[in-house]
Amino acid sequence: MSGLKRYWPCAVRITLGAIFVYASLLKIADPVAFAGSVAAYKILPYFASYLAAAVLPFVELVCGLLLISGYRVRSSALIIAALNLVFMAALASAIARGLDIDCGCFKQGGDKTSPWIALARDTVFLAMTFVVLKVEPKSKNRLYATLQEQ
Amino acid sequence: MLKKTWLGTVAEICLILVLSASAGIAWNRTLLAGAWRGESTQQAETAAPAGEALPMPIGLMQVKQMHDAKEAVIVDARDPASFAQGHITGAIVLPVAQARKNGQLPAGAKVAKDATIIVYCNGFSCHDSMEVGKLLMQAGYLSVYVYEGGYPEWRDAGYPVATGGT
Repeated sequence: MSGLKRYWPCAVRITLGAIFVYASLLKIADPVAFAGSVAAYKILPYFASYLAAAVLPFVELVCGLLLISGYRVRSSALIIAALNLVFMAALASAIARGLDIDCGCFKQGGDKTSPWIALARDTVFLAMTFVVLKVEPKSKNRLYATLQEQ
Repeated sequence: MLKKTWLGTVAEICLILVLSASAGIAWNRTLLAGAWRGESTQQAETAAPAGEALPMPIGLMQVKQMHDAKEAVIVDARDPASFAQGHITGAIVLPVAQARKNGQLPAGAKVAKDATIIVYCNGFSCHDSMEVGKLLMQAGYLSVYVYEGGYPEWRDAGYPVATGGT
């Protein structure tokens, strides 16, 4: 089995983890702006927007780091999949209500990312969590096996 | 056996969520405490560069007090359609485009240059209120505030709103 074939699910896992760590750090750096992005979806009441803005980035950060490290992969991948589903539901509801807002997924403020693009991106992330949950455990990847034995 | 693995995973997920949520709440405790009390969450980043006067941020409670005491003129910086759908009772509409044109409040609204003016728009992600506030200051209004929480926060707090009447 070639190296590429053996290690691509591992690469997917690390990439997904890195994306979430990156996204979380941008939000942790500016919680007020992220609270604004959450509030713009008009789903949560005022204080809940702040609570979500305080908590979500840290969940992303911890799960991202776990995915990268390969420790407790299944739990963190399941949380990331659930987060993605929540994000997609929020985006879909924003689209359905015709809200012209920034997705608030990565950098806060600046150019708007359309909800459609964000939705497509989240679909890719969801597919990546599927790879992490279903494909990697079956791949004959010694690195993964070693991690699981620990 | 399968059930046991799942239980383990669920326990792990709960643990991860509790730990990261605690970290998030601890990290943002000052911000959350402020938001809980309904204070202005504007950070010091809007400190004015030397020579340029910027509107001051103002929080929900202060806006409510001044609204009730009729101590301030409240200006809605959103477009007339949003204004018609719902606005803070007693507000007058002044969209950014209109403010850019003449920097004046609409004719009919006789506002003294030293009156207190509070500008708002659609909440934290909306910068039109700051823009209109700046334009009003440039036009010579002396006491201009920006209410960052804007219409969403006011409405969610259950305070008086009105529809129509652009």
